[in-house]
Amino acid sequence: MINRRRLLQAAIAAPAIIGAPARSAGTIQMISHRYPALEYYAEKMRTAIPGVAVNTQLMPIDKAIELATIALSAKSDTPDIVYASDTTFQTFVKNGWFRPLDDLWARYADEFALADFPQAALDTYRYDGHLYVMPHTLNTMMFFYRKDLLDQAGKSPPVTIAGYRDLAKSLNSPLRSGSINCLKPVDAAVNETHWYLNALGDGWFDADWHPAFNTPKSVAAIEMLKDVTRSAQQGFTTAANDECAIAYQQDTGVMGLQWATRAKAMDDPAKSRIIGKIDWTAPPQGHARIAGDGYAISAFSKQDPDVLFRIIATSASQASMRGAASLLIPPRKSVLDDPSLRDANRFYPAALASYVAGTPAPKLPEFNAIGEFVTRRILQAVTGESTVKVALDAAAGETETFLKGHGYYKG
Amino acid sequence: MRRGRTTQWLLFLALAGFTTINLTPIIWGFLISLKQPVDAFSVPPKLIFNPTFEFHEQVWVEKAFWRFLINSAIISIATVVVSVSAGTMAAYGLSRLSNLTSRGLLFGLLAMRMFPHILLAIPFFLLAKTLGLINTYPALVLALVAVNQPFTIWLMRGFFVDVPHELYEAAEIDGCNAWQVFARVALPVVRPGLWVTALFSLLLAYNEFLFALVLTGPDTKTLPVAIAEYGGEDINYWSLSAAAAIGIMLPIVLFMMALQRHLVRGLALGAVKG
Amino acid sequence: MLFPLGYAVWLSLFNYDLGSGSRAFIALGNYTDLLSDNRFWASLNRTVGIVLAAVGLEFCLGLAIAYGLYRLTFGVRILNLLMFLPNIVTPVVAALFLRWIFMGRWGLIAGTLIGLGIFPPDFLGDPAWARVTVVLADSWQFTPFMILVLYAGLNTVDQSQIEAAQIDGAGALTLLFRIMLPAIRPLIVFVLAIRLMDAFRFFDTIYVLTSGGPGTATETITLYTYALAFRLLQVGKASALGVLTLIFVAILVAVMIRVVYRREKGAF
Repeated sequence: MINRRRLLQAAIAAPAIIGAPARSAGTIQMISHRYPALEYYAEKMRTAIPGVAVNTQLMPIDKAIELATIALSAKSDTPDIVYASDTTFQTFVKNGWFRPLDDLWARYADEFALADFPQAALDTYRYDGHLYVMPHTLNTMMFFYRKDLLDQAGKSPPVTIAGYRDLAKSLNSPLRSGSINCLKPVDAAVNETHWYLNALGDGWFDADWHPAFNTPKSVAAIEMLKDVTRSAQQGFTTAANDECAIAYQQDTGVMGLQWATRAKAMDDPAKSRIIGKIDWTAPPQGHARIAGDGYAISAFSKQDPDVLFRIIATSASQASMRGAASLLIPPRKSVLDDPSLRDANRFYPAALASYVAGTPAPKLPEFNAIGEFVTRRILQAVTGESTVKVALDAAAGETETFLKGHGYYKG
Repeated sequence: MRRGRTTQWLLFLALAGFTTINLTPIIWGFLISLKQPVDAFSVPPKLIFNPTFEFHEQVWVEKAFWRFLINSAIISIATVVVSVSAGTMAAYGLSRLSNLTSRGLLFGLLAMRMFPHILLAIPFFLLAKTLGLINTYPALVLALVAVNQPFTIWLMRGFFVDVPHELYEAAEIDGCNAWQVFARVALPVVRPGLWVTALFSLLLAYNEFLFALVLTGPDTKTLPVAIAEYGGEDINYWSLSAAAAIGIMLPIVLFMMALQRHLVRGLALGAVKG
Repeated sequence: MLFPLGYAVWLSLFNYDLGSGSRAFIALGNYTDLLSDNRFWASLNRTVGIVLAAVGLEFCLGLAIAYGLYRLTFGVRILNLLMFLPNIVTPVVAALFLRWIFMGRWGLIAGTLIGLGIFPPDFLGDPAWARVTVVLADSWQFTPFMILVLYAGLNTVDQSQIEAAQIDGAGALTLLFRIMLPAIRPLIVFVLAIRLMDAFRFFDTIYVLTSGGPGTATETITLYTYALAFRLLQVGKASALGVLTLIFVAILVAVMIRVVYRREKGAF
């Protein structure tokens, strides 16, 4: 018994003995998703205000959201700055976990040239009329294709999805699949399905939030998706963005949908075998997913909100965004319209065209949760475990039950 | 156990062959950590390439994984010390109880291990937060000890049950009190078992991910959490993960090499009695 | 220590939404929901299949290897150490390593086969193969544990019994099955119980390899629990699922003990 207590005391005292840094009261804590553009911004946050220490923790999105969910649901005063995507932010706001930015936005509008952000970009992050997120990136799904292979076959990029399906089939071979599909549940699958449902079907929901993905048109849209995947690469049901990017870079696929942030790496000699051979265009028939990332302030933080706002405004400043231009699509008008940046980044024109024609995810806080079982059903349909109509009807039923339990469909 | 030499050699080759195949994922991961991404995932797989140590260097120097190694070490060692000492005492107590009571208690303890790990994360987090222990070492250590106890106690009890009753009786006749019987008589007999329990506790604590993710903060982050932070929005991240993974294996491997002799003997003597 | 478990059980009696923080006491509502839910039974089915296959494979393979090591007279220590390595790798990372081996088209196995001119099946994308891959993944990580424990056990069998059997003319296999295995019955129970419990909680690797796919071919109970808790944020229901898992595993372990101790009683 004596031993045990002494050991415990030793364990607790260990940090002091070893000199591990005690958490200083002033250090600001930030949690975020990780990809190159966000790493760049994290670096900017760390150096935003001299004398203010910012500790940035970056990790894959599902873990970041997990951690933030666990902490904020317990009303913890850490983290202070939290990553928010155009979909995740709604859940957080609905639960009262984010602080509105309207007052701070007005106060610092001049200092950080905040009018440079187009209203459309800001609207993405408004809920109940209040702004909650400082936009840092825009992202859009584009259509990637191997220009060299299409030229060789005398074809031009498809303008309809049906055309994409046929072209993929004609260029399909065991060693190089005609299409690259990324249908790993949940996020990758949601992204790709989004395109089909919005371009060919009736979308995810109707105006009253009843499922619209099992209408006859939508069922046909998913049938088309299933058709396209006949020319897809092996393992496409577990492929997320990485695996798809590798598929292009290792010359094992011809065309498909992918995020614009992956474009630059196609020409990187340390990663790609197909330098200069890929080209991009807006997704046939438009309506592919557009999204964005940004940062919000926790409602439970004990730090000075002005300080927190200045940090995220600095990382989203004009100068900062300019530096990141090759890693993302900047939300700021001044940066987006800069001709020199267009020249430096081959993919910009297609990215802009894709963005203009794109459709954001439904403004439903429960969208990510619903995505979990809907994509499960869609994958069942695509792999032939069940017919498309049966799977989608089942998903619609589950969705209605879920939403009803969350207070929708009143009256 | 003398057999013909040829049989011995065949047996050895078969086992060695199995071992090599078994090690392929690790070897391949190691090779990936030395390649540029374009070579790492090429088809057919490349065995000849220009090696680069940049990812290993990035992991240990740039990303300063040595900080996390220190955290992991502190937490693992603390867990082992607390868990083994507490578990041993509990196991001793159990071993001297009647068979039925002890079996019931044992089974109850095991309930912890039968419950999905991931669901325990939330209660532990709430508990730690209420006590203000997030981002401190004790939080994670206590959680790990709690989860590890069933296994530790079960294992150690097996060793204690082996101790012949005559030894206890002799000691009591000699006038030893309860503590002395435990420390002077029982402990020395089960010493090999302590090594085994220590190793498995160490492995559990060192490799634990979910609890570490939830209960540690920037100052106390452990290696598994640090590695998982490079999920994969960029191929480079995979190469980094590979380099980090190989790196963090080394301390445990060295530990095992040093203690191999004790381990086998310990397992042999004790676990047999379950 | 019992608090977290108790809290989780307590939670299972509520309809607790982690997001909105709303709690409604629904007593056994979660349980009836789950027990009448097809997804629950389907994933339970799958889990049992995968667990039995994996533990069975680990036991047979582990026993064979352990016995081989037992008969070997040199190089045992180094082989033992090398074989144990897969168990040392952090599960999060092990999953990644395995993914690089099994991934279609450019994983190590696929790449090598293609290089040899054989076009491989889709290990992660074909429902049947995906289940095989998951079983192999679990075995890869945990057979070493089996080997270590069984090897130690074999070493404790009384020498005199062995010698007696050998004088009677017993061959290597008879020796194993008639003499040694019965002698280490408690150890077998121990190791099988641990593996059964852990295999049911097997999560990280499946999540990284197949995410429960393709479709739902490899969706196990733990994956379902994770989805409930962290994506649908229905912590109450997830806790109920956890309790059901616990009950099921307990029954399974009890059955296993019965089977192993068909003739003996009270040895455990």
